[in-house]
Amino acid sequence: MICKELAYMLADYFNGSMDARLREELDDHLSRCEPCAAFTKTYQAVADRTHSLRRHIEYEIPPEVSKRLEAFIHAAALKYPEKVREYRDQVERDRREKVADLVRAATAGKLSSATALLVESHCAACPECGGYLAALRETGTTQAGDPPEGIRSHLIALMQTLPPGEEFFLA
Amino acid sequence: MSAERWKDDEALLESIRKGVPGAADELLRLYQGKIFNLAMSILKNESDAEEAAQDVFMTVIRKADTFQGNSAFYSWIYRICVNTCLMRLRGKRRNETVSIEEFMPVFTDEGMHASPMDDWSKEVERDALNEELGRMIRKYTEELSEKYRVVFVLSDVEGLSNEETARILGLTVPAIKSRLHRARLYLREQLSRYLREGKAG
Ligand SMILES: [Zn+2]
Ligand SMILES: [Zn+2]
Repeated sequence: MICKELAYMLADYFNGSMDARLREELDDHLSRCEPCAAFTKTYQAVADRTHSLRRHIEYEIPPEVSKRLEAFIHAAALKYPEKVREYRDQVERDRREKVADLVRAATAGKLSSATALLVESHCAACPECGGYLAALRETGTTQAGDPPEGIRSHLIALMQTLPPGEEFFLA
Repeated sequence: MSAERWKDDEALLESIRKGVPGAADELLRLYQGKIFNLAMSILKNESDAEEAAQDVFMTVIRKADTFQGNSAFYSWIYRICVNTCLMRLRGKRRNETVSIEEFMPVFTDEGMHASPMDDWSKEVERDALNEELGRMIRKYTEELSEKYRVVFVLSDVEGLSNEETARILGLTVPAIKSRLHRARLYLREQLSRYLREGKAG
């Protein structure tokens, strides 16, 4: 190992992500090379002191800025409650619709294979959701789709684990 | 309003969703210092940082519903803050005061250190130096272009892991590592020069 290589590996050396053999080589170089030993210690000192001195480095919020911020949020909250409510309602509607689609597709056996796998493994571990879907399938109800709050939240969480853009039901 | 009403971020967020009076105040009390600091370290201008902080808290209140519990609340709000600030920087001139390249270590053709190296690591541990050193670190941090600055602030000032910083900035862990490394090399070099001149003078 030469000094230049060592200098470029220091971040890994300190965050513990370096493999043992490389670390040994690096330690060996450090024990024989004075400039690198000094370089390494001062490099580490930058990171250490930066964190321990953060109270001196951070910007403190001036009291008048803090007061204005509080006033702004209060005023905004008074002025925009409608908008906030509208936005919340929209999000809630979107979620319900998505869950309904998922439940319908699950009952009709039309889930994509990745989603089906997810739903199955969840249902195997969760009697609530498992029971709910099994009952729907048994009665052949394909129109149902607005499950109780607890189940809805599980299914929302489940859908959030799908990769973005993944279609959860078959065309 | 007693703070015990909101035991943790999750409970606080739930109160904001429901519009419980005082919840927004508690959110401000907990996070305005952190958000202002982060906005300042990116924007380096007090009135810009103030406006950015207003935007951040409005966004948090409006989007409380879309927060997904699979990431920590602070990392969500930091991410909103970083995005808000970077949006504000867009179009504005990036004030790169120095070229980071001039402050990278210099090597000979054989890859050895080209100049002698002082070990000042013990010297900067002296408490008497704390205030001055903090001021210098802040000054050199401000000189970095924002690409390096944000990473250095989140990782080394605030102490977040590379993974957390990557999530907040929407970058890969290797990208974070390489930016952080260069920022540290820059600060190491600047501090070396500063301490050397200080001793000479
Ligand atoms: Zn060396
Ligand atoms: Zn379940």
